Amino acid sequence: MLAAAALAVLCAALYVLYLDIVVVRQFEGRRWTLPAQVYAAPLELYAGLDLTLPELEGELQRLHYRRAAQLDHPGSYRLQGEHIEVALRPARFADETRAAQLLTINGGAGRILSLRDAADREVPVLRLEPLLIGSIFPIHGEDRIVVAPAEVPPLLPAALKAVEDRKFDTHHGVDPLAMLRAAWVNVRAGQIEQGGSTLTQQLVRSYFLSSRQTLSRKLREAVMAMALDAHFSKADLMNAYINEIFLGQDGDRAIHGFGLASQFYFGKPLGELDLSEVALLVAVVRGPSYYDPRRHPDRALQRRNLVLKIMSEQGVVAPADAVAATRGPLGVTSRPAGAYYPAYLDFVRRTLRRDYHEEDLTKAGLRIYTSLDPRAQQQAESALEHDLDRLDRAHPHPAAPLEGAVVVTAPSSGDVIAIVGGRNVGYDGFDRALDAHRPMGSLVKPFIYLTALESGRYNAATVVQDAPVDVKLASGQHWQPENFTHQVYGAVPLVRALAESLNLATVGIGLDIGLPKIAATLQRFGLAQPPAQVPAMLLGAVDVSPLETAQLFNGLANGGFRTPLRAVRAVISAQGKPLKAFPLEVTQVATPEAIYQLDRMLVLVMDHGTGRAARPLLPAQLLVAGKSGTSSDLRDSWFAGFAGSHLVVVWVGYDNDDPTLLTGSTGALPVWAHIMAQLNATSWTAPMPESLAEVHIEFPTGLRVVPGCAQDIVAVVVPGGAQLPARPGCGFPDTPSGAPASGSLLQRAQQWLHGVVH
Amino acid sequence: MRRVLVPGACLGVLLCACGPLPPRAPEGPYGQGPGTAQPAPGTPAPPAAPNAPAPRQFHLGTAASALVTQAHHQAAGGDYGQAAATLERALRIEPDNPLIWIELGRVRLAENNGLQADAMGRKALALATGDPAAQGAAWRLIADSLRLRGRNVDAAEADRHAAGSAAR
Repeated sequence: MLAAAALAVLCAALYVLYLDIVVVRQFEGRRWTLPAQVYAAPLELYAGLDLTLPELEGELQRLHYRRAAQLDHPGSYRLQGEHIEVALRPARFADETRAAQLLTINGGAGRILSLRDAADREVPVLRLEPLLIGSIFPIHGEDRIVVAPAEVPPLLPAALKAVEDRKFDTHHGVDPLAMLRAAWVNVRAGQIEQGGSTLTQQLVRSYFLSSRQTLSRKLREAVMAMALDAHFSKADLMNAYINEIFLGQDGDRAIHGFGLASQFYFGKPLGELDLSEVALLVAVVRGPSYYDPRRHPDRALQRRNLVLKIMSEQGVVAPADAVAATRGPLGVTSRPAGAYYPAYLDFVRRTLRRDYHEEDLTKAGLRIYTSLDPRAQQQAESALEHDLDRLDRAHPHPAAPLEGAVVVTAPSSGDVIAIVGGRNVGYDGFDRALDAHRPMGSLVKPFIYLTALESGRYNAATVVQDAPVDVKLASGQHWQPENFTHQVYGAVPLVRALAESLNLATVGIGLDIGLPKIAATLQRFGLAQPPAQVPAMLLGAVDVSPLETAQLFNGLANGGFRTPLRAVRAVISAQGKPLKAFPLEVTQVATPEAIYQLDRMLVLVMDHGTGRAARPLLPAQLLVAGKSGTSSDLRDSWFAGFAGSHLVVVWVGYDNDDPTLLTGSTGALPVWAHIMAQLNATSWTAPMPESLAEVHIEFPTGLRVVPGCAQDIVAVVVPGGAQLPARPGCGFPDTPSGAPASGSLLQRAQQWLHGVVH
Repeated sequence: MRRVLVPGACLGVLLCACGPLPPRAPEGPYGQGPGTAQPAPGTPAPPAAPNAPAPRQFHLGTAASALVTQAHHQAAGGDYGQAAATLERALRIEPDNPLIWIELGRVRLAENNGLQADAMGRKALALATGDPAAQGAAWRLIADSLRLRGRNVDAAEADRHAAGSAAR
């Protein structure tokens, strides 16, 4: 009997010891478990930057800088006429850290004129700190922003104690009186109504992810809470609680800890919350879904005011302050903090999965510096949403709304600066920018024409035949493509065939050049999979994602240099050690001569062709180049085009592949133009290679003319010395007439090839 | 790795020593937009002039200049990764400036990455049209990157181009 009792006590003791080990290990493990934090590109400030003072103020507010009369602490700024004084916070970049400092920014005429430091010395260039745009948390898992005790407003622990656990500072992990009181209430009610758990018990429950309140679980929880209390200080436990507790759900993302909850509900750091905001978060602790301030604002408001009342009764705040805070609204942002870009983060995650284990990303506290431009991202999101709404009203579809995707890059660096994966930008679902593989349609044409220019047998003025095509396929069937308009245009210059996206002329050129060469061009520019070499390839029967399309067009926008598109610039360890960099790499994939001739034709697409509807939507001075794409039966509407500083790719279509009734020019083009117009883009510009010459031709016929001699004249670029037929009686006595000579073209091409091929 | 950026003081002195930087040459692709510069009907046709690009000279703007100086310090300390990252900052400010591409190519060369040094040289060359000094520097970078890869004949050819650019 005694032996049995002793054995029971021993077993109980061992079990307690076991629980002790488990919970302490969990606590220690959790303390430094922290999802990788992802940062946007920092804004570089320098004299000459095109940024108005209101735009600069917007950027500061995005970083939660507060406008103040006095610059007493970092994170504030004030406006003084034509300049802004900023007390910059300390900042950590991928390559350096910067201490807090005072900066005066002088502006005027829509740009920044100078930067000066506290000692009034000129500062040539300086970065604002990068915006935290999210974190990489486990799938179906917990996201958090861990805060140090110094970042927590003292009001928060005081409020938590007052509302949840008044004896926190003195009990040993459990509060038997509170538990008894709760038990009495529950027995009377016949169901479990009250918890009576201490903060420490709640912490234990959160660690083991169970809210089922059986007696044995409660007992286990109590033992573990006592163990934690014995091992760790109250301050450590409070900080762990503040970083651990569940405070909301956002799709797959569980919002844990007050640091993230503050961003999630109010869009600002925890340290900047006022009394009523702190009270709301404390109110949410009791039931993040029941008291969800966005879904159930009335309940949340009631409970917040109850929290304020308790805080006042417990002497945490002055009664007058509590009453004043009660009168205010909830103050939550309408949508989970804008700094949450699922499609972009998806790309970041996929990039990093090649080099890191899931565990490293979700637990090791890495800092990931990306190329995201929050302003461009926001503009791309709102333009897509707005235009799809408009298109849906114009072309209602019974089953589903139109969908779309956008990718924006900076061509010369290959930086991906914005990705929109669908019209519902906050929803972390199907990422069309990366995963929708659709026929590229006429977006393939620039690569066919580039290959034709490279062959040396075609130039922009070369007359080609837009005539019926009949190709007998290996299957014995006949392939008989048509133009979009079902018309046949006859003899047209190359530039017109591209600008008006003539299918028959293009197929003729493509068959002449050969499918293997065109496939090789696509692969050189970055097409991952070799395309099926069938004639339909010439009309874009090549499936690509919007991101892949951006990779292909980036080479056209970057002077014939391919650069791998990058979202991630660098990865830094939690301790600040550089772990991985993704440096800029370029590879020349087309001659400067061929690419310049092609790009000039793509400029004419915008002025004279299928892109001209964009013109009134763009700034008058902005020079852009681009190409529309429409797949068969109007299932996919594409537009890809670039200015000097930006490339934008837009896809519009239905998820179920239904026809859209939209062409590239009516669906994707307005979205593209609305985004491009807002990007503050610089004009497309490239120096004309010395071996080329600019000539004027009649757009419909391709005949050489002098400016002013005919109706529809365009300037095209052809190799120097190219023989062009002239329009009789239009300025040139001889037919054909040579373009300005360069003489050494062949020699130059040979030299270039020699350099590249070896 | 704590390198606090205090650009005003030390770099300012370096820059001031060069005197005020002249404004950069305008880089319009081809003057006005196509078809916009048409003379009135009846004007005699201008003779077709060979395409001699307007001569120009690239300079670094103040911000890019400060970053290039910083990159030089980093590279001198053997920290090529940081130097390249700093030069990428400069490129984001002036992406069409061949001088910065040449600087980045030089860092790649120092890292023994001849392939990228060569590619950066060719990128610079494509941008440097009309600036013989920049073209010469780009060819020299290409020559050095070819030599690094043991392609001495091609390197000698690139050197001749460099000399030819300078002579013009």
